[in-house]
Amino acid sequence: MKLLLINNDGGGFADYIDVPSGTTVAQLFKQKMGDAVARDYLIRVNRQPCPPNQCLQDGDRISITPTKIEGARS
Amino acid sequence: MYLRDYGDTEVGGFGITSEDELLLVQDLQLVEQTCSLAHVAFDDEAVANFFDDQVDAGLRPEQFGRIWIHTHPGDCPLPSPTDEATFERVFGRSDWAVMFILARTGRTYARLKFNVGPKAEFEIPVKRDYTQTFAGCDPERWEDEYLDHVHPQHKSRLIQSESGLVTDFDGEADWLFAENELKGGLI
Repeated sequence: MKLLLINNDGGGFADYIDVPSGTTVAQLFKQKMGDAVARDYLIRVNRQPCPPNQCLQDGDRISITPTKIEGARS
Repeated sequence: MYLRDYGDTEVGGFGITSEDELLLVQDLQLVEQTCSLAHVAFDDEAVANFFDDQVDAGLRPEQFGRIWIHTHPGDCPLPSPTDEATFERVFGRSDWAVMFILARTGRTYARLKFNVGPKAEFEIPVKRDYTQTFAGCDPERWEDEYLDHVHPQHKSRLIQSESGLVTDFDGEADWLFAENELKGGLI
């Protein structure tokens, strides 16, 4: 099945990918993000937060974006 | 600078760049954020919406997700430990990223970091590129206006200094808009 994946790691990615049917959000994260820590990211499917065990569907849009972006004065 | 000066707090956003020149910031996009005099934190969902919206607009992540911009309320643009931690945790897995800080006094700090290959990071100069076009830009009309109204008599002229000495003055030197490309320079 085909998904749209958006993430900013590596070279950055916003394109369609093919994954096997039944792939879960957690499996896709592991496959694409390697040893990245999931809690450092907001993972959404079709713009909605999702549980790790959610099965992805053909045509889904997955975004993996950074969290806790903060700055402070010296 | 308008966004920096509108409120009393820090403020931050993402630089959106040219398609071909990824260090040429053409726009700054704010996201929902909570701020204080000395702190700014982006809303996680707003960041996700920003990424979705930019992709829908046809931009690549490297055009909108690599240049992190925020202000400091005082005169020091140097990154704080919080800034460094965010830069490493959030932007440390992309091929490259820039942290740009603008202090209220106009001093700037910019650092380009490469996270692939022979990893390296450099402080980089900051300057405004006056060659870029923008809304309302009409160089042909400006040129006509200039040629119609301005009639140079000399390429160089003499300037009388306060001490009474006469010195040569190079009329072509870009003395007024001299670029300051040093760390902490003013923009």
